[in-house]
Amino acid sequence: MSRESYQVPTGNSPTFGGSAAFPAREFIPDSSASTMFYICGDCAVRVPLEKGAPIRCQKCGARVLYKERTKRMVQFEAR
Amino acid sequence: MSRRRVVIPSEEELERRNTVGIQAEHISNVQATDFPRHYPGEDNSWNINKFRNGFRVQFHKNDPLEASFSLIGIHAAVANAFRRIMIADIPTLAIETVFIENNTSVIQDEVLSHRLGLIPFKGGREGLHSFLKWYKRKPNTATDNLGVSDDHFDYNTVLLRLQVKCTHNEDAAEGERDPRKLYHHAHVYARDIEFVPVGRQARYFSGADAIVPVNPDILIAKMRPEQEIDLSMHMYKGVGSDHAKFSPVATASYRLLPAIKIVEPILGVDAEKFAKCFPKGVIGLRKVTRQEAAKQGSGYEGHEGELKAVVEDPMKDTVSRECLRHDEFNKKVKLGRKMDHFIFSVESTGQWESDAIFLESVAHLKAKCKTFEQQVINMVR
Repeated sequence: MSRESYQVPTGNSPTFGGSAAFPAREFIPDSSASTMFYICGDCAVRVPLEKGAPIRCQKCGARVLYKERTKRMVQFEAR
Repeated sequence: MSRRRVVIPSEEELERRNTVGIQAEHISNVQATDFPRHYPGEDNSWNINKFRNGFRVQFHKNDPLEASFSLIGIHAAVANAFRRIMIADIPTLAIETVFIENNTSVIQDEVLSHRLGLIPFKGGREGLHSFLKWYKRKPNTATDNLGVSDDHFDYNTVLLRLQVKCTHNEDAAEGERDPRKLYHHAHVYARDIEFVPVGRQARYFSGADAIVPVNPDILIAKMRPEQEIDLSMHMYKGVGSDHAKFSPVATASYRLLPAIKIVEPILGVDAEKFAKCFPKGVIGLRKVTRQEAAKQGSGYEGHEGELKAVVEDPMKDTVSRECLRHDEFNKKVKLGRKMDHFIFSVESTGQWESDAIFLESVAHLKAKCKTFEQQVINMVR
């Protein structure tokens, strides 16, 4: 569910995501964390998406979805 | 050994040395020559009494946000030091860190933070200038769970908050197109920033002394319904050499007093044309008097009652050199600038009174000299 528990899926190719000596961590699907929320680019509704689901808004069918803003505080320098 | 000949320059010569010449296509005599050993037999060493007798300050304008004054009889190096200190060394309070909880407006976090930093603030003078101290980041201080270090106190950090959410205005008239009437908080202004007093700050910054933006109508962002800005800010003291937002002045500049010298009389229609070559009020028109017309060799003979051009207020001149483009004035007028007359213009951003900025720059230069003096003493020891 939350952003923090999301892991980048890695392929089996040794040149991408790890070498033979240090194989990349295997992606373990977590059923509770597999749903991510996105914002529909057309109707601005929050769209829940399962892993592998087609990228599409359930309300209006738009194919452009935006990532949600982080819930954490972000610090900036006023410069 | 023969005694050295002591030369005392004439008034005319002193005026020539003190004037930068402005010709149609170039300037001349730009270098100051009032230092020892430049003119044989003259003692041009710097002397405190000579400086005291020759130095004058004239105020032309003294408003809280804008001051204009002349420093007369001072060297360019010192005048420039004051200007640079005013721009880069006088401390002011400005927003330095922005903690953004939420920002769904179209303006990006980085840009929003930058815009917030540039907003000038004002507050109680005692609190700003004596109670508030520098914030110095100490290494290895504990940080809270948000990564904010533990060395913030009421005397070095000022907390501000900006929490606005754009909503529909139910009372808006039918067919209303103006977003400011159609929605609440469609525009976020500097006045929406609220000051959160911490500790002793309530004593120094309350009522009329509260920390508020100098210009409440500065537009920070524009929003549409459901968009939201929720952030808090830390203000610190800083100097303009670090970032321009800390500079107490919008502009601090000087110019030299223009000098217009009419060498030969300019009369009649020419005089009117001559006056038009300058901004209003620089050149006046007077009638040639009987005495002037009677004087042989004055150039006014037989011109009694005609108009002649006289210099009224060279300070208003912009030194456009327009008069040098006309052949009839070319030989009759000499343009220049007074080398030791600095017309300062100081425009405050609002945290300091404009004249206080200059006084503070004098104090700063004095302090710098004291430090330097000690260094020189250490050097020769």
